[in-house]
Amino acid sequence: MPRYGMVIDLSRCIGCRSCAVACKIVNSQPPGTWWQRVETVGAKEHQTAVGEYPNFSEVYLPVPCMHCENAPCVRVCPVNATFKREDGLVLIDFERCIGCRYCLTACPYGVRQFNWQDHVASFRQVFTKFGFDSDWFVVEDYKYGYPFIHKTKDGRIVYMKTRPRGVVEKCTFCVQFVDQGQVPACVAACPSNARVFGDLEDPNSQISRIVSERQVFRLLEHLGTEPKVFYIPPMKKAERGQVIYSQKLE
Amino acid sequence: MRRYAVALVALIVVAAAGVAAWLYQLQKGLIVTNMRNPFTWGLYIATWAFYVGTAAGGLVVSSAIYLFRVEKLKPIAPVASTTAFVFVIAAMLMILPDLGRPDRILNIILHPQFKSMLVWDFIVLSTYAVLSATYTIILVRPNWAKRKGLPEDKIEEIKRNSERWARILAPISLPFAILIHTVTAWVLATQLSRPWWYGGLLAPMFIAAALTTGPTVVILASLIVHGFKDELRETYRFLAKISAASAAVMLFLYYNDFVVRAWWSKGEEYEALRMVFTDYISIHLGEVLLVLAGLVVLAKYYNSLSGLVTGSLLVNIGVFLHRYLLVPPAYNLIPFRLTVVSGAESYEWAYPIALGEIRGTLTDPGPVFVNYWPYVPSPIEITITIGAFALISAILLILLKILPLKKEGA
Repeated sequence: MPRYGMVIDLSRCIGCRSCAVACKIVNSQPPGTWWQRVETVGAKEHQTAVGEYPNFSEVYLPVPCMHCENAPCVRVCPVNATFKREDGLVLIDFERCIGCRYCLTACPYGVRQFNWQDHVASFRQVFTKFGFDSDWFVVEDYKYGYPFIHKTKDGRIVYMKTRPRGVVEKCTFCVQFVDQGQVPACVAACPSNARVFGDLEDPNSQISRIVSERQVFRLLEHLGTEPKVFYIPPMKKAERGQVIYSQKLE
Repeated sequence: MRRYAVALVALIVVAAAGVAAWLYQLQKGLIVTNMRNPFTWGLYIATWAFYVGTAAGGLVVSSAIYLFRVEKLKPIAPVASTTAFVFVIAAMLMILPDLGRPDRILNIILHPQFKSMLVWDFIVLSTYAVLSATYTIILVRPNWAKRKGLPEDKIEEIKRNSERWARILAPISLPFAILIHTVTAWVLATQLSRPWWYGGLLAPMFIAAALTTGPTVVILASLIVHGFKDELRETYRFLAKISAASAAVMLFLYYNDFVVRAWWSKGEEYEALRMVFTDYISIHLGEVLLVLAGLVVLAKYYNSLSGLVTGSLLVNIGVFLHRYLLVPPAYNLIPFRLTVVSGAESYEWAYPIALGEIRGTLTDPGPVFVNYWPYVPSPIEITITIGAFALISAILLILLKILPLKKEGA
């Protein structure tokens, strides 16, 4: 049985947020919901550099669900709606969830998202808010996202395009693609090849080799969640090529 | 009689408004609350914890009579167990509006996951509801028999039976009264990612809070049933003293925790405390001053009707604020924090969380990712909470009226 994990190379990440956008489109996330976030570490304002002129730095930290081995969300779920599949993916049964949001409280990474309102209504609301015709989306009968319902072997719905109102959703490592032998959307969409997805059990897989050969770290290690997303720390600025900041154009 | 009817009608009107607000929330989704992804539990959960506390007090009082032979509490035992029953129902009721899918509530029975503290909380709360209902029925049976005009020897027999059963139930009820608040505290205290809750102190603090509000609710309910009578002075004094002493213990535990958090002056535990004394200072002052004032009034003026009522209301509002303050410092201290070193300086940086809603307009967009959420309960949340309070007050009033809680003819 495989055990899936991901490696993200922070010195390859260029902070373009393609992963977040691909994830949002492929998984049909409603407005305001993001399964994947890419923030500049330490930025006081969204998407700004950190430091004082001329010593700026920008380290981008993409955060998908960590698919923890010891997942707090699985422990707290009162109805077993969030569960860890044999292959290590932490998934949510959209037909089981009672919407108590205990898991949002338990998850230290803040990756879980709640359906605060009706999926279609939220699109409609945003379109009107931003000056489009209200039924634009619905009339066209088009909404982005993988169109089919995806079930696990025991018949639990872990992906559907229109999630019911009042349930929790989050990154699934694109279970609908992984089950067909493909990689998650964020891995495929990354233009700088910063992500590697694969089987941590198989010693010959690319991810196993990276995890054992390179220096990697995991987020919030002290909480004992044992995440399966590994990060390669960013290299020193000098090794990345130099950016010269000056007040005059040269 | 007239006053009773007016009060009941008023409560039912408010309760209807609450039900209407809940129906609106069911239709629109939880978007009508001010809770969002970074701040997922709010007024509903705080109120839930508050009701669990008030419920715990009731059976502590009635089982103490038989466990510790506190004979002076005997006349109000049926009232006490009735309040226990009503408030544990209230606590379970408060969970409903917090759920995104209340229609799937049965999943907690069909597919329980026993590692989750919420399941255990559900188990102890329902057991407590059954226990307190049984206890009330046992305690009122002799009065009921008298009201029905059964023959004297029959009544004596029922009385003996009631006494016997109460003696059997008392040692079972007391641990459950303690357990409901302990497990409720564990729901929060087990969360390593929330330093405002995490640790072993939360459960004792919850029990102290329960023993502060529980007896005062019994006082208020029994004032409604029995009135301020001379033969009950001793009983009220005893309850008021328990409440005042527990309030002192609660404040001690609270500030003991504060000193431990404050001493190192760094780290997440300290940051949570700092938030209490900066962003939420008004609520904090409110809780402490009200509980202190209630403590003093209960300890000094237990001998007058106005003293009892004022003291009881003060501690209840104080403890409610205390319960409310459970939530904001837990959520606004985002658990995903990184220490950023820049030059010789370093600072804590919280990774922003997606709000779950698009706010603002095209030209004036609101935040999408936030690392702080200024939560204030929305009007709908407040209406539902007040409506639920009115509903359970109405149920309590009706039960106090129709149950034979007094000795007949007394």
